[in-house]
Amino acid sequence: MTGLELAIAAFALMLVAIFFRAPIGVAMGITGFVGTWYYLGNPNAPLSLMKSLTYETFSSYSLSIVPLFLLMGQFATKSGMSAALFKAASDWLGHRRGGVAMAAVGACAGFGAVCGSSLATASTMGQVALPEMRKRGYADSLSTGVLAAGGTLGILIPPSIILVIYAILAEQNIVKMFIAALVPGILAALGYMLTVAIYCWFKPDAGPALDRVPMGRRIRDLGQIWPVVVIFGLVMGGIAADWNWTQEGVQALFTPTEGAAVGAVATGIYGVFSGGLTWRGFLDSVLSAASSTAMIFFIVLGAHMFNSFLAFTNAPQQLADWISGQGFAPLLVLTIMLATYLIFGCVMDSLSMILLTIPIFFPIVQALDWEILGYAMNQEQSAIWFGILALIVVEVGLITPPVGINLFIINSMARDIPIARTYAGVAPFVASDLIRVVVLVAFPGITLWLVGVMF
Amino acid sequence: MGLAPELERSIGRGIERFARYLAYGGGIVLAAVALMVVASVIGRALDGFGLSPVRGDYELVQTGCGLAVFAFLPWCQFNRGHVSVDILVTQFPMRSQAFFGLIGDILITLAAFVIAWRIWAGFGEKFPYGSDGLREALSMGHRPFFPETTYELSIPMWIPFGLAFLFSALFFLTALYTVWRALNWTLQGREQLA
Repeated sequence: MTGLELAIAAFALMLVAIFFRAPIGVAMGITGFVGTWYYLGNPNAPLSLMKSLTYETFSSYSLSIVPLFLLMGQFATKSGMSAALFKAASDWLGHRRGGVAMAAVGACAGFGAVCGSSLATASTMGQVALPEMRKRGYADSLSTGVLAAGGTLGILIPPSIILVIYAILAEQNIVKMFIAALVPGILAALGYMLTVAIYCWFKPDAGPALDRVPMGRRIRDLGQIWPVVVIFGLVMGGIAADWNWTQEGVQALFTPTEGAAVGAVATGIYGVFSGGLTWRGFLDSVLSAASSTAMIFFIVLGAHMFNSFLAFTNAPQQLADWISGQGFAPLLVLTIMLATYLIFGCVMDSLSMILLTIPIFFPIVQALDWEILGYAMNQEQSAIWFGILALIVVEVGLITPPVGINLFIINSMARDIPIARTYAGVAPFVASDLIRVVVLVAFPGITLWLVGVMF
Repeated sequence: MGLAPELERSIGRGIERFARYLAYGGGIVLAAVALMVVASVIGRALDGFGLSPVRGDYELVQTGCGLAVFAFLPWCQFNRGHVSVDILVTQFPMRSQAFFGLIGDILITLAAFVIAWRIWAGFGEKFPYGSDGLREALSMGHRPFFPETTYELSIPMWIPFGLAFLFSALFFLTALYTVWRALNWTLQGREQLA
């Protein structure tokens, strides 16, 4: 067997194991371990690698950002920020048709700015906004659909755990990735709001308008969201802004990992003073962050093992060379890759998909020449652009049936609503996501413009 | 039904409490690291005013966060926190689902064993003490000529490695317990995760 054949066989076996409920991290790790053993004829190399790999992965400085951001997100869920965001947004938007649903989108976007996880965003905003929408007579399908979709803003708007993992796998600058995600993230929120408006235009009963809120109260409630603005500004400003412009290059105040630590402390302090974060709440936050952290690092460890096997076989490079040698249109290749994410996204979680596919897809992206509608990209630009596209399509997986974790989270909060109605409710938002992907593919400048301005 | 289900449940309660407190400990370390970073960032920003960053902040983040992750592993495994694709298996009867869950727990236990075993080997390469005979008996390999330390604070690497070994051994024991639990679930015909 050649290296490429072995890699394909191992990948297929691994997928079978995954579909029979093998935990994904362990499936990747064992496949990588046994594959390397088989390829080299003895287990010495993987055994020797394992002496340091686990500790080095877990104590990687750039991965330390993950538990810190998770802790920050957990503190944010306890601090009452979600309620303040939703109140301010519904003051400003509630008098429109479907306005409370639009407000839920806006609040999700705001919460996404302090939380890097879609699950936490969906569950926190769901607790605040779902009862309110149901009380106001909003249709079940719209209420659950908009919150499931809005939850994905948690990860589309930086900080974002998935982007951190992508940046590490693709060896890209995390700060640039975060900045590139900003405009597409805002577009996502606007697209969801537009979707609500169109939905309610066709079905006016789905989202009744509320009374107009007086301007004085609107401004007062808007003032209540200051902690979100301050914390987001502190974290993103600290990692991305140029604090010493007399020197060459960008002189940031702190590294992304330090930014995550600063964000966690700032959110924690605000939570303590707002009364939301008690000792009990702190311990609960720790347990939630602990479970997610261990889960993520376990998959990352397995992926490292698997990727070292792939590197031995040289399969990703061969595949990339073959594809670029065939002269396929780059857009066709891109479409196939994005479609793969959409299909797998129906049954698999976003992080596992990124870890499984980026080592294979990324060399292909780098091997192709990218010029779309006259916009030519260099290697770094195409890496950033592809990362944002991949992020969006894997996030669509969170809201596509049959397995869309955001749908389950929102549905579990309103057990009297049949899941089929939630599925129906989220469909227009999936459509909005797909339209946005097409736009971002056609105009890479939307994603890359802000990075170009800042660096 | 099952293999000593009463005993399994009471041991499970003990492991639950233990894994929980270990996770709390990891969380407190994580929070302490975050506070240290804030102090360091403030010190660096104001170094014109006689303050300075925390010495070795970079490696303290690495060591603290790394050990916290190790401390989180048992809690995650106890709660079946590792992601898997359940869609196909949910079409099967309850007992088969529990059986595939059992296979998953066995695989994790196997991985946990290899992780702990290899970290022990890594620990041996960094731990400069012990007689030859004792090291031989504990399969720690040759004594290192230059015990590795961290870059700025010169913390001997065997300390974090030793703790990492301890936590991964606890992860292995937790995983071993979850195999027993999953076996009983399979025998009883369905999973009973709280």
